[in-house]
Amino acid sequence: MAYDQSVTQVPRGRDASAGMSLETKARICRYAIIAAVIAAWEIVPRLGLVPRLFLPSLSSTLAVLAAQSGDFAIQMLVTLQEVAMALVFACGFGILFGLWVGSTLTVRKALLPVVSALFAVPLVVLYPLFTAWFGIGSASKVVFASVYGLLPTVLGTAAGAQTIDRQLTQAARSMGATRLQQILWVTLPASVPTVLASFRLGGALVIVGVVVAEMMMSSAGIGFLLSKYRTQLNSPGVFAAIILILALAIGFDLAVQAIERRWTAGGGRNKAARRPADMS
Amino acid sequence: MPRMTEAAASIRKRHGSPMSLVGPDHPAADAGKTLEVRDLDHTYSVNGKTTQALKDIAFDVSAGRFLSIVGPSGCGKSSLLMMLAGLLTPSEGVIAVGGRPLTKPDPTRVGVVFQDASLFPWLTARRNVEFPLFLRGVDKALRREKAEEALALVGLERFADSLPHELSGGMKQRVSIARGLVQDPPILLMDEPFAALDEQTRITMGDELLRIWEKARKTIVFVTHGLSEAIYLSDEVLVLSGRPGRILDRVVIDLPRPRSLDMMAQPRFAELREAIWHMIKA
Repeated sequence: MAYDQSVTQVPRGRDASAGMSLETKARICRYAIIAAVIAAWEIVPRLGLVPRLFLPSLSSTLAVLAAQSGDFAIQMLVTLQEVAMALVFACGFGILFGLWVGSTLTVRKALLPVVSALFAVPLVVLYPLFTAWFGIGSASKVVFASVYGLLPTVLGTAAGAQTIDRQLTQAARSMGATRLQQILWVTLPASVPTVLASFRLGGALVIVGVVVAEMMMSSAGIGFLLSKYRTQLNSPGVFAAIILILALAIGFDLAVQAIERRWTAGGGRNKAARRPADMS
Repeated sequence: MPRMTEAAASIRKRHGSPMSLVGPDHPAADAGKTLEVRDLDHTYSVNGKTTQALKDIAFDVSAGRFLSIVGPSGCGKSSLLMMLAGLLTPSEGVIAVGGRPLTKPDPTRVGVVFQDASLFPWLTARRNVEFPLFLRGVDKALRREKAEEALALVGLERFADSLPHELSGGMKQRVSIARGLVQDPPILLMDEPFAALDEQTRITMGDELLRIWEKARKTIVFVTHGLSEAIYLSDEVLVLSGRPGRILDRVVIDLPRPRSLDMMAQPRFAELREAIWHMIKA
């Protein structure tokens, strides 16, 4: 007891005297770096250190973004639609399939090596095929991005479902849970963190898939716009499109992170805790 | 070797045949048999290779007794407990609880506490305790009332709204005990419940368990690999051999109750411990 206290208290005291926690330092450092990048983006082109064709200043990029906001908005909407549809396919099927593969031993042994091997294939090379099959409209983007995001989602979910604590299902069984009750009230809630993590990973890849597909061969979407501006040597336009794509990716990631936090911390707890009661 | 037989013999001499021992001083000594195990054998096969895990297991436990099962690792004591919980079907033999055979899990007759507490991390302590009642469709208000009673029994009423990760290891096990007792089964099975706890918590939890046991008046079957723990807690210790697990002996722990830590330093404690240790080692 006395030993324990001496071990845990000494470093704590030292930390407090240092004045600033590691967390705070890291945060300040992070903001400083972001501020520096933004400042450099504005200053470096203005000083003529880099030709404006290669790197237009932040203000000129934002000016283009504002001036052509209608055009950007229309193309962004196309991209968003494609991303949303591909998300439903990739993550919907990916998660269901992954849960099935992960929780069924025979299926896991039979299919997981195949899925893992497919993961190594650079799927971009298949995109010309997809355009041949589905045309250069939205359909080929949705299909390509779905396939692109599907495999990692399957793998992630399967790995998670595999590690679901078997003790928990056994405990439920000892309490007289039927097979259906075990799936509904144990396996499903237990796999939520895994499913969310896979959704986050798969979703990021879906966004990449859609944008890359639009850049290669298409008639609409933010990637299409980016390609068009590039061929026109309209650098501020290119950078404006990049900003929008970054915003889309970061926005998606933050949204899923927020859901993850809600689940693991306060909000999700209440929801999960309330659920059995509501169903009775 | 001679010392071992001497020690074992001395226990037999003092208490007669190992199968008929029910301590006369326990209040529940004359009550009926809560748990009966008859002619139990268990074999399983993995990849075509058949292994006998348990052989000729037969014993019964009277109501209100605290029985521990000890044995070398891999002797099948955990399998035996799974069978008593209805989670595993023995190849041969009958398990009866309250005079009726047990063929599948029945939390109204047998409550189970697992080694790692096995609480659902997304449910609060209260919801965890309510879970077995929820599965049976018990009405919400009654469920809550029962859960709160059970939590009060283990001294955790103030932590009803905490999530498992906010609780210490010992507290988690207490929630798990409350969950096992929430349907008021006559028997509580415990599978190495304190194995994952640190030494100090383990000792505290032992005393806590004895307090709960005395208050709830349950029959407890406690699987452990800790001999001191088994002796400290139990009325009787069932000693299993290595695979295939057979019953080597049933040792009555004649230490007075309430138990206290200084008993561990008594010669009788050491004698019992050594006797059991030699049986297992042989």
